[in-house]
Amino acid sequence: MVHPAEDNLSHTQLSSNVFEDLLESIIVDVASECHRIARLGLERNLEEEEEELRLSALARAGVADSGNSSEANNKYVVDIFGQTHPPVANELFDCMNCGRSVAAGRFAPHLEKW
Amino acid sequence: MSSSLNRHQKNQILNDDDDLDRDADALPEPCPHLIDFRTSHGAKPFRALQDCLRVKPFGRASILREPNEVPLCGRCGEPSPRLYACVSCAALFCRQHAPDHAAAEPLHALAIDIDRAELFCCACQDQVYDRDFDAAVFRAQKTLCALKSSACIQTSPKPANLRKRKRVDYRPWTPDLQERAIMRKNTSPLINAVNGLNSEFPWGLRGLNNLGNTCFMNSVLQALLHTPPLRNYFLSDRHNRYYCKQKGVAGKKSGSGGDGNGKGNRLCLACDLDEMYSAAFSGERTSFSPSSFLHSWWQHAANLASYEQQDAHEFFISMLDGIHEKAQSDRPKPLNQGNGDCCIAHRVFSGILRSDVMCAECGFTSTTYDPCLDISLDLESNKKNNPKMTSTKRNNSQNGKEDCKALAHDRGTPTLMGCLERFTRPERLGSSQKFFCQKCQVRQESLKQMSLKKLPLVSCFHIKRFEHSSVRKMSRKIDRYLQFPLSLDMEPYLSSSILRKRFGNRMFPVDGVDPETTNEFSSEFELFAIVTHSGTLDAGHYVTYLRLSDKWYKCDDAWITQVSENIVRTAQCYMMFYVQKMLYYKASERQVAL
Repeated sequence: MVHPAEDNLSHTQLSSNVFEDLLESIIVDVASECHRIARLGLERNLEEEEEELRLSALARAGVADSGNSSEANNKYVVDIFGQTHPPVANELFDCMNCGRSVAAGRFAPHLEKW
Repeated sequence: MSSSLNRHQKNQILNDDDDLDRDADALPEPCPHLIDFRTSHGAKPFRALQDCLRVKPFGRASILREPNEVPLCGRCGEPSPRLYACVSCAALFCRQHAPDHAAAEPLHALAIDIDRAELFCCACQDQVYDRDFDAAVFRAQKTLCALKSSACIQTSPKPANLRKRKRVDYRPWTPDLQERAIMRKNTSPLINAVNGLNSEFPWGLRGLNNLGNTCFMNSVLQALLHTPPLRNYFLSDRHNRYYCKQKGVAGKKSGSGGDGNGKGNRLCLACDLDEMYSAAFSGERTSFSPSSFLHSWWQHAANLASYEQQDAHEFFISMLDGIHEKAQSDRPKPLNQGNGDCCIAHRVFSGILRSDVMCAECGFTSTTYDPCLDISLDLESNKKNNPKMTSTKRNNSQNGKEDCKALAHDRGTPTLMGCLERFTRPERLGSSQKFFCQKCQVRQESLKQMSLKKLPLVSCFHIKRFEHSSVRKMSRKIDRYLQFPLSLDMEPYLSSSILRKRFGNRMFPVDGVDPETTNEFSSEFELFAIVTHSGTLDAGHYVTYLRLSDKWYKCDDAWITQVSENIVRTAQCYMMFYVQKMLYYKASERQVAL
């Protein structure tokens, strides 16, 4: 940048010049850094990342629009194998400590006593 | 001809070190002026620059001819913000007058941006790159990190596994006709025809009964049952529970200690896991109860043995620890954790973290390596502080209004990659945490930076959603949504990438001084399981989503249901399991029908 003889300049113009110098310096800094990254092939492929972000955003928007779908809730009718399960698991097996028959859903509190 | 000699030397050097092949490919074509310069001067002027290179800790390199010089343009005398030093005659020129100098003197086209130590061709008006120049700058930067004026970074001795291991090339295999005949003759195919269901459901998919607030355990177990390397290990009978128990009994008989040892020998979490894999992959689809596993684990983790809801991540670590301990107890000498020689838990989940602590005053760098089973990431609750959140990069009108609206709504969402970026960001340690700098010989403020030296086969990311404040004597849960990708590239978080950035993306010199060896595997990962938590800290529920053959299944204790990918993407993730892409089986690779 060519600066005319500085004794003629007002404060405003001097500050303006300084600001422009600083701004240019910053811009060249960033440009130089990016130039190196691009030329040395260090650029990350941002497309895939952005695609993931886009899909997530869409998914969230979709869920918000459709309200509580049955998928999100815990209201199950049957599982994929066509089975149902009671709230407390009722499979019976023998406790390995005392030998007593215990219902699966109550096994942990039973075991805790040992 | 000196140019052909140059080329020959280059080729020779490149062959000596495989790890830096990447840089060789990336070397951009030099401009004709650079070629001419190299032809007549060789690399000497760049090496001579060492005296003029000024490097500050964490700052970039700059060029100063004399220590207290105020650089001015040789033509107009202005202290222009951007000055270029001619490499041939060291004269300084501002941007405006530099081309004149290049035109006037042959072979004076090449200059250096003194503020950034970057080569600039004044004739082409473009930044150019030279390996030897970068090497000179790199060496100057590295000298700052070292104790003496040598080019080595002070490090703790590298773990044994970092020595190059013999590699075997991966070769895909499909059976030929003869091999198929042999297989058909000697095997009986597993029939997945229980309850009239055909093989449309993936193997190993089976509900787990809740034994009383044990969803924290069930959720992690579901993820592990479908962790490819772990699943393969157990299904290949690599830990046979019958044989292991026999060994334990035999050990006791031969008098290996009294009661103190007895319990430890019998307790084997790997055996219980083996039993579970057998049950899960048996073809049975009724839900089963992991009771013996719970029983064994409680014996191992006595402090966590209570009826209360536990933390899934705590369980995960405790369980892997249990497997490790048992494997160690069977051996006379402890084996390396870093490369997973010690046990299957480490073989699958262990990576190596590199930690650099850099003195803020002199730049001296101290490096340590530690194995890690997973990575715990902070999920910050404050929007303002995070610059790495999602932002609308470009307004892609092709995607339609819907997408733009969705993206705009989502601006400011924290992401997994943002958490990882923050994890590997240089962190300034406060004045209360000064570290003793060996170079300065006093306590100094420092900068700490983490990076991934070696990636595990399976990466587990744990999101710290539960905050326990000992000061306020309370705990709370952070419900904030965290975006996560299905395909993840860990490359930006590798030590090699972090280091390369730290040194200004210079091309590393190929003299083999500090070759940051690249990983054995690629850095690409695929998500296969996610453990989610819903509800509050005290009254919450864990659920796992599994990705099998590109379909998503929700595992809610005994209930297995299929869900869409969108549901998974919106879930509140707590632990995420990613496997190396090459170990991930996609739907396209169907079983070969015999």
